Amino acid sequence: MAASIAYIGGHLQYGVNFCKGQSYKQAVWVPGVIFNGCLQRELSWSCGVSKFLQIRQCNLFRSPSNKKSKSFRTLATSAYLRDGTTKYFDFAVIGSGVAGLRYALEVAKHGSVAVITKAEPHESNTNYAQGGVSAVLCPSDSIESHMQDTIVAGAYLCDEETVKIVCTEGPDRIRELIAMGASFDHGEDGNLHLAREGGHSHHRIVHAADMTGREIERALLEAVINDPNISVFKHHFAIDLLTCQDGLDTVCHGVDALNTETQEVVRFISKVTLLASGGAGHIYPSTTNPLVATGDGMAMAHRAQAVISNMEFVQFHPTALADEGLPIKPKKTRENAFLITEAVRGDGGILYNLSMERFMPLYDGRAELAPRDVVARSIDDQLKKRNENYVLLDISHKPREKILSHFPNISNECLQHGLDITRQPIPVVPAAHYMCGGVRAGLQGETNVHGLYVAGEVACTGLHGANRLASNSLLEALVFARRAVQPSIDHMKSSNLDLRASDLWTLPLVPKSLGSDVMHKILRTTKEVRKELQSVMWKYVGIVRSTRRLQEAEQKIGELEAKWETYLFEHGWQQTMVAHEACEMRNLFCCAKLVLNSALARHESRGLHYMIDFPHLEESKRLPTVIFPSSGTTSTWSSRQLHQHSTC
Amino acid sequence: MAKASLSRLFSSLSEHSIAKPSFTGFRSDSVARSASNSTTRFVCSSAQQSQLNHGGKVDEEDREALKENLESKNKEEGEDGDEGDHVNKETGEVGGPKGPEPTRYGDWERNGRCYDF
Repeated sequence: MAASIAYIGGHLQYGVNFCKGQSYKQAVWVPGVIFNGCLQRELSWSCGVSKFLQIRQCNLFRSPSNKKSKSFRTLATSAYLRDGTTKYFDFAVIGSGVAGLRYALEVAKHGSVAVITKAEPHESNTNYAQGGVSAVLCPSDSIESHMQDTIVAGAYLCDEETVKIVCTEGPDRIRELIAMGASFDHGEDGNLHLAREGGHSHHRIVHAADMTGREIERALLEAVINDPNISVFKHHFAIDLLTCQDGLDTVCHGVDALNTETQEVVRFISKVTLLASGGAGHIYPSTTNPLVATGDGMAMAHRAQAVISNMEFVQFHPTALADEGLPIKPKKTRENAFLITEAVRGDGGILYNLSMERFMPLYDGRAELAPRDVVARSIDDQLKKRNENYVLLDISHKPREKILSHFPNISNECLQHGLDITRQPIPVVPAAHYMCGGVRAGLQGETNVHGLYVAGEVACTGLHGANRLASNSLLEALVFARRAVQPSIDHMKSSNLDLRASDLWTLPLVPKSLGSDVMHKILRTTKEVRKELQSVMWKYVGIVRSTRRLQEAEQKIGELEAKWETYLFEHGWQQTMVAHEACEMRNLFCCAKLVLNSALARHESRGLHYMIDFPHLEESKRLPTVIFPSSGTTSTWSSRQLHQHSTC
Repeated sequence: MAKASLSRLFSSLSEHSIAKPSFTGFRSDSVARSASNSTTRFVCSSAQQSQLNHGGKVDEEDREALKENLESKNKEEGEDGDEGDHVNKETGEVGGPKGPEPTRYGDWERNGRCYDF
């Protein structure tokens, strides 16, 4: 993938208005390091146009009125093309986590909304975010304090204006959630109970028992399902954004999706698109993320010429339960990792490598009580040096009753797999948890692609910088989903999109013609390639990095991708063909390379990004890493859109 | 050095002032679960005391005993939840997690599993 990576010099300001082409260009060309320097180039392909358009429902797509009436009826028009269906909406939302749903509920007051989600609607990282959400809700707390904590955690790479906005607007976003029916823990006096998490200097974590994410998701989903203007399309896998060139601008007009239950392609034409597709944990073999988190949104956005930022900052947790070390292996591969709490080490747990050597004192005088990222790097280093797959966390020297009463969840889980933690050490390995980087967003969630907005984990807003502060991710999603609403409405009202837009792009093709034998082979190979990619990412683009390792990763991933694509195309796969697993694989390749290239570009260690050959912070490098769209000349299937590009 | 990091890891113990009227304050003492006493009694009566035993195999009897014990405790907690919201005597939190404060070591833990950090 030919990509240009640059440091935006001068300042960390994310407030560039991407809608003004000229000023955006100026921000791009501020002196800095340009690697493989090239800007976006349009691909001018001739369009293939379907001639068999039949409009079944003749409700014309009328321009929205200015009334914010609750009785506004959904005017979703469907047109049936020969090989698929086209649907028309004012707003398309990709992803059904907190960001997507929050946004949908607001914009639904102004037009029709499609929420497109690849599995069941509740299946998202939000649902697993079971800690809390941070906000300044206590009189003795302050916005400045929350800001400071965020910036310190972010290793001073945060965008200050973004941080200020999120910390300031957070409390109102929480109050709205409560008004919507989310039920947070409170005291007997009826006031919100606020906890204090690591890195926060005040009590400011709002939570719901310990299922905050799930509770927020539940409340939002209920409201969405009851909203007559919102249509939820579950089991619809988004394939590529529908974009075209309008002079120098790239404009987004919707998204193609595959209904994975019926194996039918659905084209969504929309005036505005919100990308809220979450994270990419599954580029690594061990992750806390559910299976849906394969970086689809980051990949689609990159292919659609959107700018990507700070992908090198991947947050790992040091001690996830390593299934490989359990006497009885789980029957099915665990989908999302079981994290062993800090409290085990806090209560006296000791880390050993597989030779039963206690290694933490070699790395830090605080041994097991060193900060989390020090522990993560130490474990990673041990695993790489010794070529092993997990280490051991031993709490068995502590009183049995205390272990069982404090950690019943771990005890039970391990017991089911033949391990008694009161007698034996627990096998642990770091797991990928959160992507701090993503699609570069302005202060209103806007991207450099007109009509495309982003919110949530898929976005890089400048809030997290080089490392995310605990409980700030749900907050970021809520704030940016809300901020993207007005610009979206404005864009929608000024849009002159019409029914014929659907003709501009070739339709994706379901590979029925290949036959089931070939498909079976392709699926099997894809599964193996996925495991191989995850293994390479963990070994070469893990927690402790080096230029040499990253370059090896570049070579290996390049070869693996070429091998996979060759296999596909040798078996009759065509450029526009789509299948769930193959599309996920191309997104995983795309994201893996984004992470890799970003890591290669940062010649310092900061926050989550640690380089052996650049082990210190460099003030001159305190800048975001930015990846511009690829030139497209030597691109792979994963790095270009399926459909033929066109001019508007 | 260990102490410095301990203070970083631990939730605020003493310097946080008692809550002003409108918000519930947080008190740091961890509360032993009421259930844990019965757990202790049950475990002591049915299984050997644990020693430092890295290579110990789980024998069938112990495994069953532990399993039964955990199941009965989970059931107990479930019943508590069904009857009405639990009130944390230390913090005044209603319907919150029983047992030690989830954020006492900086991350968000429940029963040993970490959910956020």
